[in-house]
Formats: sequence, C-alpha cells, structure tokens
Amino acid sequence: MAGDFELTRNITIGQYLPTGSVIHRMDPRLKLLAAALWILSISLCHTYLGNVAGLCVCLALFALARIPLSYGLSGLKPAIPFILILAILQLLFYGNGYGPSGQVYFHWGILRITSASVRVVVVSTLRFVEIIFAVSVLTLSTSITELTHGVEGLLRPLGRMKVPVHAFALIVTIAVRFVPTFAMEMEKMMKAQASRGAEFGTGSWWNIARRTRDVFPLIIPLFNTALVRAEELALAMEARGYVPGQARTAYRRYRAGGRDIVMFLAGMALSAALVFAPFPF
Amino acid sequence: MEKQIGFTVRRIVVAGVLSAIAILLGFTRWGYIPVPTPAGNATIMHIPVIIGSIMEGWPVGTVIGFIFGLSSFVGADVPFFKDPLVSVLPRLFIGIVSWLVFVGIRRWNVYAAIGVAGFMGSATNTILVLGMAVLRGYLAFGPALVTAVANGLPEAIVSVLITLAVVSAWMRIDRKGRRSKLDVD
Repeated sequence: MAGDFELTRNITIGQYLPTGSVIHRMDPRLKLLAAALWILSISLCHTYLGNVAGLCVCLALFALARIPLSYGLSGLKPAIPFILILAILQLLFYGNGYGPSGQVYFHWGILRITSASVRVVVVSTLRFVEIIFAVSVLTLSTSITELTHGVEGLLRPLGRMKVPVHAFALIVTIAVRFVPTFAMEMEKMMKAQASRGAEFGTGSWWNIARRTRDVFPLIIPLFNTALVRAEELALAMEARGYVPGQARTAYRRYRAGGRDIVMFLAGMALSAALVFAPFPF
Repeated sequence: MEKQIGFTVRRIVVAGVLSAIAILLGFTRWGYIPVPTPAGNATIMHIPVIIGSIMEGWPVGTVIGFIFGLSSFVGADVPFFKDPLVSVLPRLFIGIVSWLVFVGIRRWNVYAAIGVAGFMGSATNTILVLGMAVLRGYLAFGPALVTAVANGLPEAIVSVLITLAVVSAWMRIDRKGRRSKLDVD
C-alpha cells in the first residue's frame, strides 16, 4: 500500500542524470530526431522478434549512456498493474473484437483467445516497455535547456510560415519540467487524502464507478494547484522581462559535428531496420 | 494591459502546465480506466484540453490536444491508436469545439457553458476518434457505436464534473482578485 504513494521516485521523465557519455554529448536536435524516429519505428513494429530486438537496442542505449538500468525499471514500476489488467482484458475479449483472425487456442462462451489476441497482448506490452526505456534514456541524458533548443531547432523551418515555434518549444519544455513537480504534488495529495481515511487502489478493478470516483479528490486539486503554479510562473517570467515572440539569443549555440551525424545515421539505420527488416515471426 | 493576440506569457504557461498534467496522467496510467470494450480504455486525459481552451482560448486547447494526441499515439496499446490519423488528428478538434461551445453559451449562463463545453469536448473526442477508426477500417460501425455509448457517455459525464469543478473554482479565485498578485500562496 505504501508503495502506491511513491509516485516521484517512479517517474523518470523530466529528470536529468549527467554522466557525460557520448549520448549526453550528442547534438540535442539530432538526438531528438533520432529518438522520435526510433519511437515511431517501435510503434510500427508488429512482430515478436522485432520487438525483442528493439528491447535489446533500448537496453544497449542504457549502457551507452552509462545510466543505471534501475532508472528505466523504476519508470516502469507504476505502470505494471495497469499493463497487467489491460493485458488480461485484451487477452480475454480481443478474440471477439477482431473477428476470427488467426488460430483459436481457447474458446468458452464469449471468451476467445486467438493467436491474434496473444500477439496484441505480447507485442503491446513489449512495445510499452521499449518506449518507456527509450523516453527514459532521452530525458535522463538531455537537460531541459538542451531539450528546448532541440525542439526549437527542429521546428525552425515552420517559423517561416508564421507558426509560433518558440512558444511551442517553451510549452513543451514547461510541460516536461513540470511532470515531476506534479507527480510530487499528487503524491502529497494522495497522502493527505489517505490520512483523512480515503482509500486508493482498494476498489476492485471491475468496479469502474468506484475507481472513477477515487480519482476525483486527486484530479481536481491537482488541476487547481497546477493553475496556481501557472500564475506564479507567468508572473515570474514577466518580472524577468520575458516577451513572447521577441527575437532571442541563446547562451550556447549548438553545432552538429561529425560524430553527431554518424550517431544520427546509426540511429536512423536501426529505426529503418526495425520497420523494414523481414522478421520471421 | 492591452489585449494581446497569439501566445501571451499566460497562455504559454497554462498550455505547458496543462500538457504536463496530460502527460502525467498518461505516464502513471491514472488517466486511463480500463474497460472491456474495443477501445480498451475510458480516458480522462482529454480534460486538460477542454479546461485549457475554456480558460485561454482554442489555440491553447489545440496545442494541449496535440501533446495529448502524441502521448496517446506513443503509449497506445490498441492497434488503431498506432495510426496518427486516429490518435493525433481528432484531438486537435477537442479544444476548438469546446471553445466554440463555451463562447456561444457563455452570455446566457457561464456555468452551463462550462458544463456543456466539457460534455461537447468529450463527445468530440469520442465521436471523431471512433469515426476515424471506422473510416480507416479498424472498427465496424456496430462495435464503434457500442463503444461510443459504453465509453463515451461515462467519459463525458466525468468530463463535465471535473471541468465544472476546476474552472468554477478557478473563476472564484479569479474574482477574489488573487490573480497576478504577489500574495498568491
């Protein structure tokens, strides 16, 4: 039960772990692009073998970035019960939803387990793990400043078309920066509610109404504290003379060197291999 | 301060903060309530989009919708959400619809406007996502309709309750004049 409150410890997104590895020193624009391509190709990969290969690459990324694997695993931990529930529901009911596709392994009443539904469950679970790992490596090896510059640099061509690129980059940065803060906030609220006798996670999973009602005393204060923080942040930014849309210069300029390009090409090759390689199953 | 067009500091910050909530709900899976329908999940992750567009206008809602769409595309475990035309594109319209509804009804009754905007924003999500899934051939019309009622209706009701609670609480704070004062606690 106590473990349910440890949200902050388990959320790796938005934290930065400086180890100075090759991945850390990579040009943020190319790193972001490579990560986006990699995640996209994981999303498109439907084979068992392909996803196992993808998982191996993600594990190799941890080694390359010299980030302990425990950081990736702790990002995974809060998701485990949901993955399990989802996997069981999918396993039991998907055979019907997708029609008589594939071989039927088990059939009883409305329950039908087919090779197609087993594939959906295994592949989607693996995929989820891979994406959490990939995103963890990206955020643990890239500081918020680098991330903004990366997003902004990548979107710069859109700026010509009067798209507010800088604003968008800043929104993404603020979002990523505040995820751990809100996780902490939520943890505090869960403890506060629990100390008043609220029970979280004790409702049976099939009791959807109860589970939904459990969420209310957390979500509403979460929104409200978030909006108060937004006010404070807006005020702080205005006080420091931030004017949206103004031309700004950067403290550091990024130049993609030969090593960055080589690493990016390697990433692209891996992504392409994952999508197009003919994995036998 | 004169009325600014486009992204003001406030709008940027509110969009960022609400996107953070959408990401947090997705990552901790608090934003999904698993139900045994073809869509797999009832979601409350579209609520930041609705709140953002009611508070700060449709561009803010659209940006949050885009970030919500991306996170649902990346984290999808149902095959048809792996298609950006299903997972990202429909989400851009949640903010626009709920903003239009809010602005249209606001002059009669603000609270009714918030509630209806919450309902319509959620309905937009349900109808466009499932409609797109049908158009792209992932779902037949029958199961889609069942899902729309079984998932969409509870989602819409939850959305009305949360939107109403959050926005009206915020407006009350607003009216007390606590906004942009140094004594905000």
